[in-house]
Amino acid sequence: MAGTLRRNARLGWAAALFTAVGLGVALAQVGPTTQIFDPKTHKWINYDRKKARQYYAAHGQVPDAFRRQIVPFRTAEKPGTIIIDGNQHFLYLVLPGLKAVRYGIGVGREGFGWAGIVRVGRTAEWPTWTPPAEMVARDPNAAKFAGGMPGGPDNPLGARALYLYQGDQDTIYRIHGTPEPWTIGLDVSSGCIRMNNDDIVDLHAQVQVGAKVVVLMQGAALYKGV
Amino acid sequence: MRAIFLSVTFLVAGAALVGCSSTAPEPQDMARTTVQTAPADLQLTCASAAATSAGVDANKVLPVGSQQLDATRYQVELNASGQRYVCIVDNMGAVSSVQKAA
Repeated sequence: MAGTLRRNARLGWAAALFTAVGLGVALAQVGPTTQIFDPKTHKWINYDRKKARQYYAAHGQVPDAFRRQIVPFRTAEKPGTIIIDGNQHFLYLVLPGLKAVRYGIGVGREGFGWAGIVRVGRTAEWPTWTPPAEMVARDPNAAKFAGGMPGGPDNPLGARALYLYQGDQDTIYRIHGTPEPWTIGLDVSSGCIRMNNDDIVDLHAQVQVGAKVVVLMQGAALYKGV
Repeated sequence: MRAIFLSVTFLVAGAALVGCSSTAPEPQDMARTTVQTAPADLQLTCASAAATSAGVDANKVLPVGSQQLDATRYQVELNASGQRYVCIVDNMGAVSSVQKAA
């Protein structure tokens, strides 16, 4: 009963949101766009930062598709390998038995996406965030923390960080948590892979330093070395 | 007459069932992007096949693009140590061709 009420409330919320927003606004957007399926109207609706925030405020979590789940995954990659599908906003942790844990992610916005084969060079719990020089130069909010922002719930890196290396060199890209969990499923970052804090804690607990990380992103620049 | 009645009844019932059936995806599939790509595992299957075909380390082969060809097949473009390859794979993971791009 409670489940039915919750489901009806969810459907009602979705119908109200999608009706208010309208298909015209959705179609006005250009470029690759995330879409979610509206079970009330049976239509795919564009899912932007504003709608994502509204959805998260209403449900306290992201849409089902972006929640952690075990999925079939036919690959020859070793268990423990991380596969990032930047276009579809999923990160897969390969498990034995042709399965994977699938997590929802946020990825680089237009011009900040990348693809490549790297590895986990090191990891950290509640990491310090030090914005790179180019971010300090273009973003006044980042400039405040040019000397480093201590770890904590407001830190942009969230609860855990996996530092991506190529060989022994830090790529400056990370897989990390976020204080903005509603951004999962969107193209929002400066090239890092963001996950909600529960998910990055779960991933961090299962990943070994040295693990291979394959980043798939159609149309993005290749990280050097491939 | 009875046969015709039964046939019509079954047709109406069948139509009603079709009308009630849902084409909605499963909850875990209720998200996508407007860029349609091959599933990640199929892209990696092609990368593995291209590594064998090109004779290069699998860690040097990266899928860089993909598209759905028809209901069951995908085409995956790959960068294999700087060389371009094209692979066709079906949705069961069977690779039907790997060729060096022209």
